[in-house]
Amino acid sequence: MNWDQVELNPRIIAAVRRAKLKSVREVLCISDPDLQRLTGLSHSDVKQLLIVASTACRRHPPTPVILLHHRGESSLRLSVGCPVLDQLLRGGLPVGGVTELSGESGVGKTQLALQLCLSVQYPTEYGGLNSGAVYICTEDSFPVRRLQQLIQEQSTVRSDAPQDLISNLQFSDHVYIEHAADLDSLQVCLSQRVPLLLARGLVRLLVVDSVAALFRSEFQASDWLQRNKQLLTFCSALHHLSREFNTPVLCINQVTDVFSGSDDSLGPHSSNVSPALGLVWANQVMVRLMMRRLQGMIFHGDQSSAPRRLEVVFAPHLAQDGRDAGIWREGVQGVSS
Amino acid sequence: MQRAVSSLALSPSVKVKLASAGFQFTADLRHLKPLQLSKEAGLSQQEALEVLQAARSEGAGHREGALTALELLQQEEEMRSIITFSSQLDAALGGGLPVGKTTEICGAPGVGKTQLCLQLAVDVQVPPCFGGVGGQVIYIDTEGSFLVQRVVDLATAVIRHCSLLVEDNDQRDAMTSFTVETILSNIFLVRCHDYVELLAELHLLQYFLLDHPKACLLVVDSVAFPFRHFDDLLQRTRLLHSVAQQLITMATRHSIAVALTNQMTTRLRGGQSQLVPALGESWGHTPTIRLLLHWAGPRRLAAIFKSPGHMDTTIQYQITSDGFRDADESEQPQSKRPRTHNDQSAGSQREAGC
Repeated sequence: MNWDQVELNPRIIAAVRRAKLKSVREVLCISDPDLQRLTGLSHSDVKQLLIVASTACRRHPPTPVILLHHRGESSLRLSVGCPVLDQLLRGGLPVGGVTELSGESGVGKTQLALQLCLSVQYPTEYGGLNSGAVYICTEDSFPVRRLQQLIQEQSTVRSDAPQDLISNLQFSDHVYIEHAADLDSLQVCLSQRVPLLLARGLVRLLVVDSVAALFRSEFQASDWLQRNKQLLTFCSALHHLSREFNTPVLCINQVTDVFSGSDDSLGPHSSNVSPALGLVWANQVMVRLMMRRLQGMIFHGDQSSAPRRLEVVFAPHLAQDGRDAGIWREGVQGVSS
Repeated sequence: MQRAVSSLALSPSVKVKLASAGFQFTADLRHLKPLQLSKEAGLSQQEALEVLQAARSEGAGHREGALTALELLQQEEEMRSIITFSSQLDAALGGGLPVGKTTEICGAPGVGKTQLCLQLAVDVQVPPCFGGVGGQVIYIDTEGSFLVQRVVDLATAVIRHCSLLVEDNDQRDAMTSFTVETILSNIFLVRCHDYVELLAELHLLQYFLLDHPKACLLVVDSVAFPFRHFDDLLQRTRLLHSVAQQLITMATRHSIAVALTNQMTTRLRGGQSQLVPALGESWGHTPTIRLLLHWAGPRRLAAIFKSPGHMDTTIQYQITSDGFRDADESEQPQSKRPRTHNDQSAGSQREAGC
């Protein structure tokens, strides 16, 4: 914010200008005595300056939570497109915040992400957000055939929504696909193209499939400091997008093996794998989900599938729990127990 | 008491002028009029007025600020702690989270830091007749992990708990106004998206606290998040110090409990990696009490690892659908008992005894 826009005594503004302090934000990062020294203003003037600068930086004054509750913003969820899994997630992914989905390869992470790309397009009364999705691929090329198959099956799987609504939705027109083969192109994508799509209201779901691929391939073990720095920059970009546009962000992550006897200070492991990228990444994640492959076979009509289990590892609003699911032609569907 | 003029909160140029005119102590300024001072020290009238105001308010502050240890103890005993709903943790902390002090909650992701914060935000509102504080909360959320849905869960559980304890009319009356709606309306949420917004909010918070004298708890979840990606570490340390200073000032001046959360980071020492709280060594001096939440296999443990008044203890807890609770309630029938005045004073005696 510029100094012309704040309401302050012109004498103080002139002093601030003389001290070559360009923005309001800059002032807040300087301590009180330093400000007095730099600007030559008195204590009370500096106090006034700080109050005005703080007010300019503040987005909202403290709001009673009851107002948020009544506005219903906080209860908005993006449905996964399956009642059993939605029940596990208490309605679906929270809007705003980074959700991580990790699991071994072939467990069905991408399947679930594709399903979300479709369910986001439904109106809010059917669990969607009435908008499209942007899908950033870093690992593999986008499974476009599978997406087509899922679209064709929508009318059978979404029996809760009216048929004419489903037939009117142009699902494949609203999934925007980006390929990012290295960190630089990912950076460009997140800082330029994705904000544009979000600002125009064309999309309201960001999927990154997967975060691990780039950060695991581009750095050697000895570059961990550099890697952490890049990872934090990436995370702050995701958080910024999620907050600015009130958008759910889904990040798909790989897993690493956990050796028996290694320390369990990060929580109990339900299996012998844990999500990749370590503590730096884990600190940035709000909801951590994990998918596992179980033994055996389950059947659904003429189809058979190896059972999967979707587990909540941690989330501020969810209990540690899990649901069994199968992967069918029409998508990932929970098995009601 | 003599106080040097140079220690007043004045701009450096004014201090130099005062010193060169021979004013060394605030006592020297006591009988002067602004006009006289401006002539003597070569200050503008405006500056002279401010110097005198600063000198007078400091003098008054000193007389008021000097307290004996006995008075302090009495003050501290009057302040009630905020219960955590885990009787073991309350006992370890001597009655709960102390009001007027800063408490840091560290832990790995998913161990329950946010859960404890949300629990405290609800618990602080328990009416005084149930042994609570009956205060309001300011909740600064920097991570975006404040979900109203979860607060409703916790509030419903606390109300259910209290309604089972109703014995007299006082408590019955209190219950009529202790609802999920009132609990939610007494939590003031601020979302800060980066460190500048956090600094701005802390600047303004003192004025908010003046307008809301019932506020008893400030939660910052988390301090670490906005400060984790910082290129200039020197700048970070400086800003963190100013945050620390502001939090401590608010805790003591407005008698509120301050609860902060901090993330964990890995430190390599002698070829071994170790989980330590983030934000560096010097930040560790800020909070009065540091709580470390950690996993031990499938169990969740809370350890007090810095506190001037408590023993280093480790207790076990669990996060249920109702919130932050003792590990096994069947073994702890006490947790169902209401916390009364006696419990509180017993707690502070234990604290004083340590």
